[in-house]
Amino acid sequence: MNCLIFGYGYMGKIRYQVLAKHPQVKRIWVVDPHLEKPPQELSGILLPPGDPLPWEQTDAAFICTPNDVTAPLCVEGIRRCRNVFCEKPPGRNWEEFCRIAQAAEAHPDHTLVFGFNHRLHPSIQAAKALLQEGRLGEIIYVKGTYGKSGGLKYRESWRTKPEIAGGGILLDQGLHMLDLFHLFLGPLQVQDALLADAFWNCGVEDNAFVLLKSHKGVPAFLHSSATLWRHTFHLEIGCRDGYLIASGLLSKTGSYGREQLVIGKRQFEDEAMALGNPREEIIHFDRDESWEKEVQEFLSAVQEKRRPTHGLLEEARSVMQVIRDVYALRGPTVVGREI
Amino acid sequence: MRTIQTETRFPLSSVKPLETLSRYRAHCLEETRKLLSRGSARRTASPVTGSPLQPFGTVDSFEYLICPDTGSLFLASLPPAEAWSGLLKEMHRYRHSPGGFHSELAASRETHVYQPKVEWIQETLALQGIRKPALLEGGSLPGDLKELLEKSGSFSRVEFTDEAALARGVSTAGKGAFQAVVLLESLDRSDDPAGLVEQAERCLSRGGLLFVTALVASGFDFQALGTNNRYFYPPDRTNCFTLKGLRRLLEKFKLELVEVSTPGVLDVEILQAHLAQDPSFPVSRFERALALADEPVRQAFQSFLQENGLSSYARLAARKL
Repeated sequence: MNCLIFGYGYMGKIRYQVLAKHPQVKRIWVVDPHLEKPPQELSGILLPPGDPLPWEQTDAAFICTPNDVTAPLCVEGIRRCRNVFCEKPPGRNWEEFCRIAQAAEAHPDHTLVFGFNHRLHPSIQAAKALLQEGRLGEIIYVKGTYGKSGGLKYRESWRTKPEIAGGGILLDQGLHMLDLFHLFLGPLQVQDALLADAFWNCGVEDNAFVLLKSHKGVPAFLHSSATLWRHTFHLEIGCRDGYLIASGLLSKTGSYGREQLVIGKRQFEDEAMALGNPREEIIHFDRDESWEKEVQEFLSAVQEKRRPTHGLLEEARSVMQVIRDVYALRGPTVVGREI
Repeated sequence: MRTIQTETRFPLSSVKPLETLSRYRAHCLEETRKLLSRGSARRTASPVTGSPLQPFGTVDSFEYLICPDTGSLFLASLPPAEAWSGLLKEMHRYRHSPGGFHSELAASRETHVYQPKVEWIQETLALQGIRKPALLEGGSLPGDLKELLEKSGSFSRVEFTDEAALARGVSTAGKGAFQAVVLLESLDRSDDPAGLVEQAERCLSRGGLLFVTALVASGFDFQALGTNNRYFYPPDRTNCFTLKGLRRLLEKFKLELVEVSTPGVLDVEILQAHLAQDPSFPVSRFERALALADEPVRQAFQSFLQENGLSSYARLAARKL
C-alpha cells in the first residue's frame, strides 16, 4: 500500500513511524509545507512544496495537520482516494464535521477512520472487557478528568488560536475523554457546562466542566483542563457491584504517570475490614500498542473492504454533537475568567 | 504485559502460620531425607538456561544449587521420578489429613488462597477475550481449587492431571485441547520443571493461557531470610525460581507473557514471624526496624514490594502463540 501523510508535526511523526514499520506499506509520502528543516529520515519521502500530490498512486491518506485544514483535506482525501485516516478533532466545529460526513456519504466505497486511540489503550481495553464480563454490574456513573499544564510555548501554539483550532482544551484533549464516555455509555446529552479561560487568556477555554447524561439516564461528568500542572488522566466508572479507575497513560514522556486500572469490588462492613475500604486490585500496564493497533485496523479494513471496528464516523458525530451543544450553551468564546 | 498489585490483606495465621507449618516442614524434611537415602541423581544443568548449576548453600543439610544466569535455586539431588511423584502425593495427603494444617485452615484458605486464584483466572481470561474455556489443572492430587473452578461455572469443563505424568509427556490430557492450563506451585516441586512447562504448552490451543503461581527466591522474605527461611524446604520448594527465572522458563517455550506480578501480602509478616519465634534471628538492622514498624509502614512497604515485582509470591500468565 502507498500512504500519503499530510502534516509532520507530533502526530504526523507518530503515524510515519508506525507506517514505516508496517509490512503492507510499500511507499510513504509526506506533505508539510511548514516544515522548516526537513529531517533526514524524510529524504526522498517529503514532497517538495508545489509538487503535484500523487493521488493516483495513493491507497490511503493520513490527515495529521492543524485543525483549520483538517476538514478540507479530509474531504479531498475521500474524494481522491476514498481511504482516509483523520486525526481528531474531525473539523474545527460541527459545520466542518458535517462537510466531512457529506463527502463520506457521497462516496459509499470510502473507509474513514478518526484517531480516537484512547479506546485502544490497555487500561481502557481491560476496563471494557471486565465490564462486558458483567461481574461489576451495570454502570451507575462515569467521571473523567483529562488535563495538561500547557507549557512555556502553549500560548504560541496553534492549538490556542481560535481561528485555527476552532476551540480550546475541550475540543483538543476533552474530545478523547468524551469518546471514552461514549464507548462505555453510548450517545450522551449535555445537561450543563461551564467553560473558563482562567489562566492562559487565549480566547479559548482552558477549563471545561461538562455534565452529561446517557440515553439510559446514567450521569457522566468531564473536567477537561489546560491548567492541570500535574498532567492527569483519570477515568472512574462506578458500577452497582464495584468500580474501575483507569489512570495514567503510557505515553512518550510518561508525564501522565504509570498506566493502571484499579478494580474495586463493592463491600459493606459485613464483608470488608472497614466500610469504605473495599478490596482492590491494581493492574499496571507496560505496553501501549494503541497507535499500531488503530493503523493496523484501518489498513486491514481498507484492504478487506470492510467496516472498521472503531474510529467510525458515527462515533465522531457523537462527540462532535456534545461539543457543539456545549459551545452553544456557553456562547461565543471570549478572553476572561469565565466564558 | 501487565502486573497486578492487590489491596487485599489477610494474616499469615489464616493461611500458613509458622508454628503449624513447622510440624509439617519437619515431616517433609524427614520423608525427603529417607527417600534420597535410597538413591538419587545429581542435577547439573539449570532447567531454565542449561548453564551448569553452581553451589549455593544448604537448607537443613539439603544442598541447593544456583542457576548463574537467573539466580534460581534448585535442590541438588533428586530420586527417580516415580519415587518423587509418590512423595509429593504423600505430602499432599498429609497436609489435608485430619490435623494437617490445610485441614485446620480449610475455610480461610478457601477465602484467601483459592477463591482469589479463581477470580484471577476468570478475570485474566476475560481480559484476553476467552469465554467458557476448557481448563486443565496440573497438580499432585486434585484438591480444593478444582472444586471451586467447577463451581464457578466459568469453564466448559475442568480436568485434572498428575503434574508428574504431564512433565513426562504421559498424561492423558489432550494436546491442544485446553484454552487454559493452571500450575499452582507445581513448578516449585517438580523434578522436571522445564518438561512440565513444555508439556503444559502442548496442551494449550493457540491463544490459550498458562497460569503459574510460585514462591520466588527474588522475593523479599526469601532475600531477607535466605536459607534460614522456614518456608524454604523440600519437597515443596525443590525449586525456588527467581521472577527472572520464571519469565525465562516460560519464554523458552515460546509463551508470550501477558502478566508478571508479585501480589504477595505476607513477606513482611513472614519476616516478623521469624523474629517473633527467634529474636536473635540474623537479619539486617533495616529488616529488623521494618518488622518492628507500625502497621501502615509495613503495609506501605508490602505495597512497594508488590508494585515492583519484589514480593515472594509470583503470579504469571502467558499466552501460547
